[in-house]
Amino acid sequence: MTAVSRAPATTGRTLTVRGLTVHYGGVCAVRDLGFEVPAGDAIGVIGANGAGKTSALKAIMGLVPRRVGALRFGDVDLSGVAARDMVRHGIGYVPEGRHVFAGLPVDKNLLLGAYARKWNAETRATLDQVYELFPVLGEMRGRLAGALSGGQQQMLAIGRALMSRPRLLLLDEPSMGLSPKLVEDILAVLLRLRAEGLSLLLVEQNAKLTFEATSSCLVVENGEVAMTGTSERLRHDPRVRRIYLGL
Amino acid sequence: MRTRLLLAAGAVAAWLLPYGLDSYAIHVVDVILIFAILAIGLGLAMGIAGQVNLAQVAVFGVGAYVTAILTTRAGLGFWVAAVLAVLATVVIGLVIGVPALRVQSHYLGIVTLGLALAFTSWVTNAQASGGAEGISGIPVPELPGVDLSSEYLYYYLELIVFAILLAFGLFVVRTSLGRRMRAMRDDALAAGSLGAEVPVLRMAAFLLASVYGGLGGVLYAGLIRYVAPESFNIANMFLLLGMVIIGGRQSLVGCVVGAVGLALVREALVDHPQIAQIAYGSVVVLVVVFAPTGLAGLPVRVRSAVARRRGRQGAAARLKPFQPYDPEPSRRDGETILQVDRVTKQFRGLKALDDVSLTVAAGEIRGVVGPNGSGKTTLFNVISGLYKPTRGRVRFRDADRTGDAPYRLARAGLSRTFQNLRLFGDLTVEENILVARDRSRTWESWRYLLRPISVLRRDRELHRHARDVLDRYGLAEFAALAPKSLPYGIQRRVEIARAVAAGPALLLLDEPAAGLNGEEVRQLAEIVRSIRDSGITVIIIEHNMGLVMTLCERVTVLAGGRIIADGTPAEVARTPAVIEAYLGDSMTAGDLPPISEVTR
Amino acid sequence: MQVFLQTIIGGVSLGAVYALVALGFSLVYRTMGLVNFAHGNVVTVGAYLASTFYLTSKLPFALAMVIAIAVTGAIGLVIERVLRPLENRDFDLMLIGTIGFGIVLDALVIAIWGATGRAVPSPVQTEPIDLLGLRIRTYDLVVLAIAAAATVLLVLFLSRTKRGAAMQAVAMDHEAATAVGIHVGRSNAIAFMIGAGLAALAGGLVGPLLYVSPALGGALGIKGFAAAILGGFGSIPGAIVGGLAIGVLDSFTAGHFQGYSELVTFIVFTVIIMVRPTGVFGERTVNRA
Repeated sequence: MTAVSRAPATTGRTLTVRGLTVHYGGVCAVRDLGFEVPAGDAIGVIGANGAGKTSALKAIMGLVPRRVGALRFGDVDLSGVAARDMVRHGIGYVPEGRHVFAGLPVDKNLLLGAYARKWNAETRATLDQVYELFPVLGEMRGRLAGALSGGQQQMLAIGRALMSRPRLLLLDEPSMGLSPKLVEDILAVLLRLRAEGLSLLLVEQNAKLTFEATSSCLVVENGEVAMTGTSERLRHDPRVRRIYLGL
Repeated sequence: MRTRLLLAAGAVAAWLLPYGLDSYAIHVVDVILIFAILAIGLGLAMGIAGQVNLAQVAVFGVGAYVTAILTTRAGLGFWVAAVLAVLATVVIGLVIGVPALRVQSHYLGIVTLGLALAFTSWVTNAQASGGAEGISGIPVPELPGVDLSSEYLYYYLELIVFAILLAFGLFVVRTSLGRRMRAMRDDALAAGSLGAEVPVLRMAAFLLASVYGGLGGVLYAGLIRYVAPESFNIANMFLLLGMVIIGGRQSLVGCVVGAVGLALVREALVDHPQIAQIAYGSVVVLVVVFAPTGLAGLPVRVRSAVARRRGRQGAAARLKPFQPYDPEPSRRDGETILQVDRVTKQFRGLKALDDVSLTVAAGEIRGVVGPNGSGKTTLFNVISGLYKPTRGRVRFRDADRTGDAPYRLARAGLSRTFQNLRLFGDLTVEENILVARDRSRTWESWRYLLRPISVLRRDRELHRHARDVLDRYGLAEFAALAPKSLPYGIQRRVEIARAVAAGPALLLLDEPAAGLNGEEVRQLAEIVRSIRDSGITVIIIEHNMGLVMTLCERVTVLAGGRIIADGTPAEVARTPAVIEAYLGDSMTAGDLPPISEVTR
Repeated sequence: MQVFLQTIIGGVSLGAVYALVALGFSLVYRTMGLVNFAHGNVVTVGAYLASTFYLTSKLPFALAMVIAIAVTGAIGLVIERVLRPLENRDFDLMLIGTIGFGIVLDALVIAIWGATGRAVPSPVQTEPIDLLGLRIRTYDLVVLAIAAAATVLLVLFLSRTKRGAAMQAVAMDHEAATAVGIHVGRSNAIAFMIGAGLAALAGGLVGPLLYVSPALGGALGIKGFAAAILGGFGSIPGAIVGGLAIGVLDSFTAGHFQGYSELVTFIVFTVIIMVRPTGVFGERTVNRA
């Protein structure tokens, strides 16, 4: 089959984030965050609730006011790009808590994912690819998204983001509220997307999923980077376990 | 001192005003004063209590019409009719308020508007109200020695009523009742969770507004001595709304300023009513977009803008350390304070809680942990009465409390904080504490009329208690500031102080450490421990596992809406299901460090 | 029986107009979560514009309607643009903002067309149809047909077009909609424009049925709103059923209570809101109220 994402690693772009700061009504949620997502690579951001992960991701998307030293995708400057135009630069976004369009059927949800593109034969093809990636969505295509189970909604949210044929996918806690079996399914999907050359930025509380899906990670605490390293090293790091289990 | 001088100057000016006015001007002033009274009433309902009330002019009409009918048709004296008219408006006000128990905001607006239209439709058609011609020949209110047919003398009558009503309104706003209404306006959910009887408060708001409307109506009937449907139509309702919005709905003085200002503008453009209407309609639009607090809010906005220019922003206030409570071991330690029995909560297709049972002993600090979406906050919402469980029961302090309203649970001794902070944004920090501390019943507000001194005395006592709480939590220097202007960590502390100020037996903390830095988390642990030592049982939802492990005697772990583990922190941390839920299965219990590290 | 059926028929054409007003309310609510209090005033403006082009400019009725719809659509765009800073932030303030626009429009109508009303002759001059002893005015049938066509077009627009789907998506989740590239403000503007256009359609159609006066929109607005609520706010079939129901109710109360008909209608409507805020046919929760 053909890849869902737009571009293989060879023509990919690197996301560069420098000095990202987010203020929420006088509160500093994220302070001076900086990292890179190399083309075709998968980077994870882990940390406890309230550590600022979601704020950081929303700020990159422009969904909350952002202050950045630099925000580049390849050689495109994104720092002044409005949230609604990020998708036109090849950046797909899977929001925390899924946020599917609950009152619309599954296929409409997916088609809206391709809103920024012309709806044509290529869209059809992408839609078929998404159905191939998530067969359950194909079976449910006429159902209202709000009637899907949590896991199916998560797949729908990912599928919707893929419909724009992105080069980079931002995922905010795709494992939230899912059973271990479903988390495994999500992991398999992420690994496959990565193998197809799509760059991933994965924000997660589930450290295990993140370590397996990514090549390296940032650990965020109180809006700042507490640790960085390869996922392989971090998964055996005692401090990570302490943050996660309080040990 | 300055305000007193201003007040005295204002009073003298108001007293001397008629001497400089011709007979037409004094008539205009008389009408303006009536609008000012109506505006105060609408301000109380809309600005203070947040109840969209588009029937204020209809209530005004009820007051005027009842006076007219009783004097001309039933032959009652003016003052007897006036008293009955105000009673009638009270009843009508309560009827108009009933929908507020079910709907809010837009819906309430349209329902009250519909009722107002129903009123005009009735008076235009009914025989008793004289149809479209209205009722004329209302007698002059008689007052021994004063000829009230003189509009000059009538002015003084109105002025006295107006002054009393304004003072009473301000008295309400600044004390228990008004504070609670403002809290409800800012966040009805949080107000309810702190024991404010939201339904009673909403009715009280409509009642107050209609008393003002009714008195306005009586004065109007006595002044004009003629009533007709068009005086009480929707256009006048919107004019009144414009007065309140432009003046500043959250300030009664602002409402008065708006009423006077707009009425004068309308008078100046009396030959061009359409231009006047276009002008004030546009101003209403501009005000909501650019200055939602109206004219009354301008001084504050200007001041804060100037402060920002100069780079000063409340940096002067400092957080002081928390002063621990004196330990006070409760005699009831170890007894069951809360029992959650097989609770299931279903949302459409989703089971947020599935057969959850939980028993908490008095004097305990219980941790509730679990991955995001595992149902922790839903559990809190069921316990605190925000959600009604689909199945199962909740017992609190030996009484079945399943499905009780949050304010009843709050009054039974339950207090909580919220994951996303629900402080009353337009109240000061101290007022936030005061609302929680205030345990008086709203229906006791009759004291405002009959025993105002006792209201003041109790309020002074509340202030003293609130000061104590602020001091203990090191928040004294923030007392007069708006919570929104404070750093997140301090807001979190204010919320905890507020929850404890309510004097609970059981305190629910929903992720109190979220967004706090290391030092703040350490202080939080100290505060929570001290709260428990003062005899309050604590249940804490937390993601910061370090905090949970050090703080809690027992930990309950939720995943997917079910309890997967329950025990001491050390036991729980070694339960494979817990490790699976958090870290995934690749890390087995064998990899974990020894227990000594766990308890630190 | 004859009288009963005749009363129903009498209510249906006005009911269709209420349904159109309700559709405008519902569309704006569905996409923005906002109840547009200026909607009734837009109806008045539409009625005056259509009757002016029809009577004064002597344009064909259909063309007069089209122009009226275009002009009010532009008014809708202006309202949305001015209130946009409040979108997704403070709905109570937006509500008051739309009331402000209502006040302005009300005054503009009187300033331009005067305080007295005008009667609009029916554009269809044929005799009433006699069906089994029931008299049916031809114009009533025209109103029904146009209302039905407008509804079908609206449903097709929402369900079949990209823009229509996007507008609904904005209502369900404006952040997710932004992330897929939808311009939320523009989408809301279009919703407001269509809503205003529907109001003008209703106003234009009602001209020959009722007397066109500055007070026309107030009554139509509140009844249209009652219809929308009755049917379940935000639901399109609900708006239709609600509109027809209010129309028929109106017709009956007018027969039985004469001058008090409005009073009865409003009281019935208040009771319905109290008992079932989500409407008789609605299942959507009233989460923004």
